Amino acid sequence: MSCDSDGPPPKVKQRYIRDMAIAGAIYVALVVGAALTIRYMHPPQWALVILALLPLAPALLMLRAYVVYVNALDEFQRRVQTEAAIVAAGVIAFASFAYGFLEDWANFPRISLIWVFPALSFTFGVVHRIVRRRYK
Amino acid sequence: MKNRLKVLRAERNWSQADLADRLEVSRQSVNAIETGKYDPSLPLAFRIARVFAMPIEQIFSDEIEVSP
Repeated sequence: MSCDSDGPPPKVKQRYIRDMAIAGAIYVALVVGAALTIRYMHPPQWALVILALLPLAPALLMLRAYVVYVNALDEFQRRVQTEAAIVAAGVIAFASFAYGFLEDWANFPRISLIWVFPALSFTFGVVHRIVRRRYK
Repeated sequence: MKNRLKVLRAERNWSQADLADRLEVSRQSVNAIETGKYDPSLPLAFRIARVFAMPIEQIFSDEIEVSP
C-alpha cells in the first residue's frame, strides 16, 4: 500500500470512484427506466413493487463499494470513517424519530422516506470533515 | 499514551511522509499518532518498533499525554 498522500492510497481511491460511478450509472438507468415504464405502460401492482425495488440493487453495490473502500484504508483512517458513520447514523436516526413525532402530534408536513438516504449521505460528509479536523 | 515518534523521526531526518511510507500507512495516521490524538493498535506499534529498530517500550509509554 503506497500512502504518500494525506488521503487513502491512489489505487483504493480509484477503485472506489470506479465502483461508485458504475453503481451510479446503473442507478440512473434503472430509475429512468422504471419511471418511464410506470408512466407509459401502466404495469400491474406486483410489477410496480418490483420496479420500485429495482434501484435498491445499485444502492447495495454502492454499499459494497464503500465497505471495500473502508477495509482498504489504514487503521486510523478506518477509525475516522467509523466515527463519522456512527455519528451521522445517530443524527439521522434521532432527527427522523423527532420529526415523526412532529408530523403526528404537531401537524408538520409529511416528508417521504426517500429523503433519509440523501440526508444520511450529506450528514456523513459534514461529520467526516469535522472528525478529520479533530484529529489534525 | 505518550510516544517519542517525532523525536525519533527527527533524529533520522525523516519526514512524516517518509515514515508513513515505511509503515505503509497514511501521513495523517503518523501525524495523529505523533500528536497523541490516536493510539496505534498493537500490530502497528510493533511495526513502528521494527522500523526504528528499538524495543516498543522505548518508543511508547503509558503516561497520559497532557494537552498544552
